[in-house]
Amino acid sequence: MIHKLKGLIWNGGLAAMLLTASVSAETVKYRGMFKGSSMKIDGTSTVHDWTVESKLISGNMELEGGFPSDLSLEAVPALSVTPKVNVKVAARSMKSGKPTMDQVMLTAMNADDHPWITYKLTEMTPSKGERKIGDALKYDTKGELTVSGVKKEISMPVNISPTDKGLKVAGKVIIKMSDHGIKAPAPKIALGLITTGDEVSLSFEWFTQKR
Amino acid sequence: MTDQTEKIDLNRRDFLKGGSMAGMMAMMASGATAFKPADANAQSSKPPIGPPVKFGVIGCGYHGRDIVGTLAVLPNAPVVAICDHYGAFLRRTGRSAPEATKYENYKDLLADENVEAVVVATPSHQHKDIVIDALKAGKHVYCEAPIASSIEDARAIALAAKNTPKQYFQAGLQYRSDPQRHFLVDYVRTGAWGHSIFARAQWHKKTSWKRAAPSNEREREINWRLNNETSCGIAGEIGIHLLDANNWFLSGRPSAVSGFGSNLLWKDGRDVPDTAQVTLEYPDGVQSYVDITLCNSFDSEYEMYHGTDSALMVRGSQAWMFKEADAPMLGWEVYAKKDTFHKEVGIYLVANATKLTTVTGSGEEAAKASPFTDTPLWYALEAFVHNAYVHQSGVEDFIASFGDTDDEILGEYLAELEGSKKPAAGYQLGYEANVIAVKAHEATMNNNRIELDDSLFDLG
Repeated sequence: MIHKLKGLIWNGGLAAMLLTASVSAETVKYRGMFKGSSMKIDGTSTVHDWTVESKLISGNMELEGGFPSDLSLEAVPALSVTPKVNVKVAARSMKSGKPTMDQVMLTAMNADDHPWITYKLTEMTPSKGERKIGDALKYDTKGELTVSGVKKEISMPVNISPTDKGLKVAGKVIIKMSDHGIKAPAPKIALGLITTGDEVSLSFEWFTQKR
Repeated sequence: MTDQTEKIDLNRRDFLKGGSMAGMMAMMASGATAFKPADANAQSSKPPIGPPVKFGVIGCGYHGRDIVGTLAVLPNAPVVAICDHYGAFLRRTGRSAPEATKYENYKDLLADENVEAVVVATPSHQHKDIVIDALKAGKHVYCEAPIASSIEDARAIALAAKNTPKQYFQAGLQYRSDPQRHFLVDYVRTGAWGHSIFARAQWHKKTSWKRAAPSNEREREINWRLNNETSCGIAGEIGIHLLDANNWFLSGRPSAVSGFGSNLLWKDGRDVPDTAQVTLEYPDGVQSYVDITLCNSFDSEYEMYHGTDSALMVRGSQAWMFKEADAPMLGWEVYAKKDTFHKEVGIYLVANATKLTTVTGSGEEAAKASPFTDTPLWYALEAFVHNAYVHQSGVEDFIASFGDTDDEILGEYLAELEGSKKPAAGYQLGYEANVIAVKAHEATMNNNRIELDDSLFDLG
C-alpha cells in the first residue's frame, strides 16, 4: 500500500514536474500595435539638426511564459530562452514634415529597392547594475538591423514595461549610416554645401499587445 | 468654335502686363501680373517628389483644358485619360495630352486601371455622381470648386470623401495651396497688422460669360452657368474663391450673408445676375465685402485686408502692405521695396522675406524676385500630386504593416501624415466654402440677408 502510495506520489510529482516544464516552455506571443508606437532617427547636418519619425512599427515578439512583467522585482531574472523578436518599419513611412527632405532621405536609403527597415533579436540578457524598484525592466540586447538592404549587428539596451494590453519596449542606439552602405546625403540645394553627419541616433517606443 | 470670353481675358491680361493703364492704374500696373502662365521649361526643371501620379481628367471644357495644360508642365502628373461626352472638346483637349486615352463616358474612364487620380472639371451640378463613383472606384479626386451647385450635393460629396479614407480628396479652392497667401496669412496671424477691421475683394471683367455653340441644345448645355437651376451664379462660381480667402484671412466662419444682385448689361435670357455684391458678417462686427461684375473691368481682381495698423493688398502672386502713420515700426520695412499707388506707399510683401532687401526696380522686376510666381492652379495641382502620393503610400504602408482591418485606425494614421502633405483644401473646407457660396448666390437672387446657422456647416 505504502509502496503504491509512494508510486503514486512519485508519479504525481513527475507529472507535476512535467507540467511545470511544459508551462515554462509555453510562449506568449505579442504583435506590434499602431497606437502609441514611434521610431525616430535624429541626425545632424552642417545647417541644422534633423529628425525623421515613423508611427508604423509592426512585427511580432514571442517570449517565454515566465517572462517577468512585475516591476516590483528587486532583480531581473535571467531568461531561459532568447525571445523571438522580428520588427519592420516601412522606410517611406519615416517623415520629417518636409517633403523635400523626405525625398532626399528615401533616395539615400534606396527605398525603392529596399522598402523595409528590419530588426531581428539574437541575444537578450538582463542588464547589470543596480535596479530601482518600479523602473522598467532593463535588458542588453544584440540583434541584426537591416537598413537599405545591408545587415549589421547592433547592441542596444532596451526597457520593457507592462501595459494594459501587452508590453511596451523602448530603446535607443547610435548607428552609422555608412555601416548600411548609405552615403550621408548632400542635397543639391545650396550648391551641395549641406552635408549630414554619418552618425545618427535611432530611438523607439514600441507598443505591443498579446495575440 | 469662337471663344469670345477667352479672347477678352487674354487681351485683358496682356493689357495689364503691358503696364499701359492710365491714371492711377498706371501705378497699379506693376501689381497686375496675376495668374502668370506656367512656364513649361521652368517647371519641368523642378525635381519631382514621389513617383508619378497618373491622371484622368473628366470634363474637357475651358477649365478642363487649362487643367490638362497645367498638369502637362508638372513633372510627375502624366495625363493618361481624358473624358468628355462632347467630341469637339475631347479632340481639342487631346492635343495637349496626345498619349491620353479618350473616353466619352466617365464610367469607362473610372474603369481604366491605369488611372490613379481624377480631376473633375465638369459643370458644378454634374460633380456629385462623378465624384462619388470615382471614390468608389478607388481613385483620388481633385474636384473643382464649387464642389457642387447645391448644399445637398456638396454634403453628399464631402461625406463620400470622409467615408472613403483610402482615397485622397481635394477641393479646388486654389488659394488654399498658394504659398504667397500662406505667407501673408502667417504675417496676419503675427498681429503685426493690428487686429481685423474688414476684408474686401473684387472680380471685375467685361465679358458675357456666355459661350457660343453650334446648336440650341448645345448652347443651353454649355451655358449652364447662366441658368439658376444648374449654377450658383457669379457669387458662387467666381465668388467662392474670394469668399473663402476672406474667411481664411479673418480666421472665421460667417454668421450671416447678405447679397444684392442685378442684371445690368447682359440681357440675353439668363436668370442669374451679371453684377453682385456680397457681405459676410463675422463675430465682433467684422465684415467682408465681395463685389463681382461682368459689366466693367476696372481694377480687375484683387483682395484687400484691413487691420488697425495696416492694410494688405493681394494681386495675383504679389502683395503690398500700407501702414498707418501711428503703426509701430517693424524694422525691415525701411529697407523693403516700395511701390506708389496714387498717394499711398505700398511696402512690398513677398514670401521668402530674406530677399526683401535685395528687391529693387519696378514691380515686374520685384515679381521675378519672388520664389512663388506660378498660378494658384499650378500650386493646387502640385499639392494634389504630392498629397495623393503621401496618402496612397501611407495607406499601402499601413496595410502592409497591420493588415486591412480597421478603417478608423487607418484614418488615425493618415491624420498623422497631414504634416507631410502640402497645404490644400480637403472635403471639410470645400464643403464649408460651398455652403457660403450657395447661400451668397441665394442672397443675390433675392436681395436679402440669410443667417448661416452652425448646423449648416455640420457634415454629420
